Amino acid sequence: MSKEISIALAGNPNSGKSTLFNALTGARQSVGNWPGVTVEKKTGRLKADTSCQVVDLPGIYSLAAGSVDEIVARDYLVSGEPAVILNIVDGSNLERNLYLTTQLCELGLPVVIAVNMMDVVKRTGDEIDLERLASELSCPVLPISALLGEGLDALTTTLLQGVRGELPLPRPRVFSAPIEEVLAEIENLIRPHVRSVPGERSRLIALFEGDEHEKERLNLPGSTLSAIEKLIADLETRIDDDAVSLIGQERYQAIQNLLAGSRLEHGRGQMTLSDRIDQVVTNRILALPIFAAVMFLVYYLSVSTVGGWWTDWANDGLFGDGFFFLGRGREAYDEQVEEFELAEMSVEAFEEEAAAADLEAETATGLVAEVILYNDSGVEKERVAVSHDDYLAALDVEEPDPAAFGPWVPGVPVLVEQALEAGHVSGWLHDLVLDGIVAGVGAVLGFVPQMLVLFFFLALLEACGYMARIAFVMDRIFRSFGLSGTSFIPMLVSTGCAVPGIMAARTIESERDRRLTVATTPFMPCSAKLPVIALIAGALFDDAWWVAPSAYFAGIGAILVSGIILKKFRAFAGDAAPFVLELPSYRLPRPGDVLRSMLERAWSFIKRAGSIILLAQVFVWFTTSYGWADGAVRAVEQDQSFLAVLGSAVSWIFAPLGWGHWQAVVATITGLIAKENVVGTFGTLYGGFSEVSEAGWEIWANMRVHFTTLSAYSFLLFNLLCLPCFAAIGAIRREMNSARWTLFAIAYQTGLAYAVSLIFYQLGAMFSGTGSIPGTVTALVLLAGLLYLLLRPNPNRRLLPAAARS
Amino acid sequence: MMPLNLAQAGDRGLIDRVGGSGDLRRRLEELGFTSGQPVHVLSSRQGDLIVDVRGSRIALGRDLARRVHIRLGETA
Repeated sequence: MSKEISIALAGNPNSGKSTLFNALTGARQSVGNWPGVTVEKKTGRLKADTSCQVVDLPGIYSLAAGSVDEIVARDYLVSGEPAVILNIVDGSNLERNLYLTTQLCELGLPVVIAVNMMDVVKRTGDEIDLERLASELSCPVLPISALLGEGLDALTTTLLQGVRGELPLPRPRVFSAPIEEVLAEIENLIRPHVRSVPGERSRLIALFEGDEHEKERLNLPGSTLSAIEKLIADLETRIDDDAVSLIGQERYQAIQNLLAGSRLEHGRGQMTLSDRIDQVVTNRILALPIFAAVMFLVYYLSVSTVGGWWTDWANDGLFGDGFFFLGRGREAYDEQVEEFELAEMSVEAFEEEAAAADLEAETATGLVAEVILYNDSGVEKERVAVSHDDYLAALDVEEPDPAAFGPWVPGVPVLVEQALEAGHVSGWLHDLVLDGIVAGVGAVLGFVPQMLVLFFFLALLEACGYMARIAFVMDRIFRSFGLSGTSFIPMLVSTGCAVPGIMAARTIESERDRRLTVATTPFMPCSAKLPVIALIAGALFDDAWWVAPSAYFAGIGAILVSGIILKKFRAFAGDAAPFVLELPSYRLPRPGDVLRSMLERAWSFIKRAGSIILLAQVFVWFTTSYGWADGAVRAVEQDQSFLAVLGSAVSWIFAPLGWGHWQAVVATITGLIAKENVVGTFGTLYGGFSEVSEAGWEIWANMRVHFTTLSAYSFLLFNLLCLPCFAAIGAIRREMNSARWTLFAIAYQTGLAYAVSLIFYQLGAMFSGTGSIPGTVTALVLLAGLLYLLLRPNPNRRLLPAAARS
Repeated sequence: MMPLNLAQAGDRGLIDRVGGSGDLRRRLEELGFTSGQPVHVLSSRQGDLIVDVRGSRIALGRDLARRVHIRLGETA
């Protein structure tokens, strides 16, 4: 592999590993993936010597191949690449942390042990005999506090000694005689097949423990494997216990011996402050209300207030016309804009009135017209009479120039347009850049501020320790639907945006649970779906209060139903992984670590907006702006565009759902860029408006012509549940790390959306007396199919008892 | 002797044995659930537990907790 010198950083989850990694490497970090898996691989350069790279291994409790994280870590440690292992252990939780240490000491590499959280240890009055640890393990043991930055210089010096080959190899634990005899025999058996490899003793022990992954790695012949299995089985009958347990128990005995000179009493058999907080936070009655309150606060701050303001600025300012620096001049400008808009409407109303009365507007002195002002949701606010004098005055009102009101910063589209005009770029390129690329990327990046705020709070909840408690509290409820408590966080985040929601599924250890979560979490109504809900509620349901909540029920219902349906298929077979999670003590996180985690997630989102999403955006832009006209491809109105033609061609597919007209189909397709585009597209197609208000009330009347309440709700259901926007599909692709699974996910989502909408529409039509016989029959067949999938006995259930016995 | 999922908040005891299949059993043992270890139940939600074992706080679902058998009231 590379000639670079590598230090592998290994430790338990919650041992302060990322804080130490950040402290050792500073800003010189890069994030990638471990080969073949979605586990994040972070590397960084040592501050003190940039020729050394530090590789941050996933947080693990053990090197046994029980999870992807453990396999990744072990693969790397035996690859021959690392020169030194830096093992961070939590001093306030030493006994459990040293379990991994005993395994690391068997790899045949120099190990440097950093005992972290020494400040906490001192404060609680515990004492750790570091010298005994060092002499027993025969490797350097250094006290540090990663949080306070204490002891890091000495640690770096020792690491560099290790890199130069000046450290002794650790002395591995000698097991009891019966085990050592079997280990020696295994060594003899594999000797002919394996050249001397790094981590030899560690590999012998892994074989002894029956580690399937290690057997594969060594590629031993079948006869050797069965000979090894026989050795172990013989030992197990002789001592009446199993090999795995024996090793585990002896490791812990060794740890007792290592800690013979230490006094570790804090938190053992007595309640700590953290335990008292947990008694309240995970209390049977209080847990859910507390959780709801915390989430309401997080959601409120990221979507409604801080994040919302910031997102508005990004959409209307940075990716709109522009904005006032620090907001100065905004108020005066807004007033003028309002005045100008009123004047425009007055002119229009007066001229219409004059035309109706067959008069010239300029001379119609006695005429009075009326302007009706509406608020954002289409409710009449005010009526203003427009006389002839008003009309003449209105003609003179000029559009205000924002630059005259304060320090005006033009938005990106304005700047790009100026640049394009200055460069005399041809028309189509101008449109491509401005309407395709800038508008498309802007639509995605516009969500970044909101996400930054959301990510910030999530990182905070994670770092302080509350996130682990939420998973514990929610596990009970989710388990009945085949999901585990760890799936809950992604779904919660998805109510803001599915992209970070899907990314949050990364922490789920079991691959089955992770896939299930990634495939179902986009059902949650995200903030971009809210305008669509508002449009349908306003246009067809008279703003009924129940429409929005029903959308959330539909989303949550789809997730729970999918959990039950999918776990009966072989790929998702079995119950959710049993819940076991270490609860770290509550602590105040370091602001730097929280910010770093927030920025890493945001950056990973932005990178995606720059690639696959961009291409998709440009495609949809092209097909909505261009069409076949007069024997050539040229710019056309949206209703003659390629997409409109395509929409008409496939609209029959949606006829059984009650909305087989091309406008609805085109709106659904443009919704794939971002769901709120549905509203904008309807604005263009039903009203000729280039822009409509969020709830689109201007076009309500026209929509009632095309939709009935039934078909509108069916349209809403389909758009809520069908394949998500391109950004979310990109995120699914990344987390699934497989094109096949990505296709499965979006096909399942779209299939479920189609079935649910069809059942809803056709049965609704039947009950209201407008149904057709074929429609009703199809709906009943689909409903029966869905119920069968839901209620059928689990075909994989039979396999479980056998698996449990093994 | 009783399975851990039946224990109440505040209960203390010694682990008698850890049952169940290979991987899950190994996971529990790695986290410190080995024979003879004292456990202290800090919180119980109908069998889902938070326990103190070897000084760390572990949240366990019911279906794992019932694999751990303890001798209630005994101390090391």
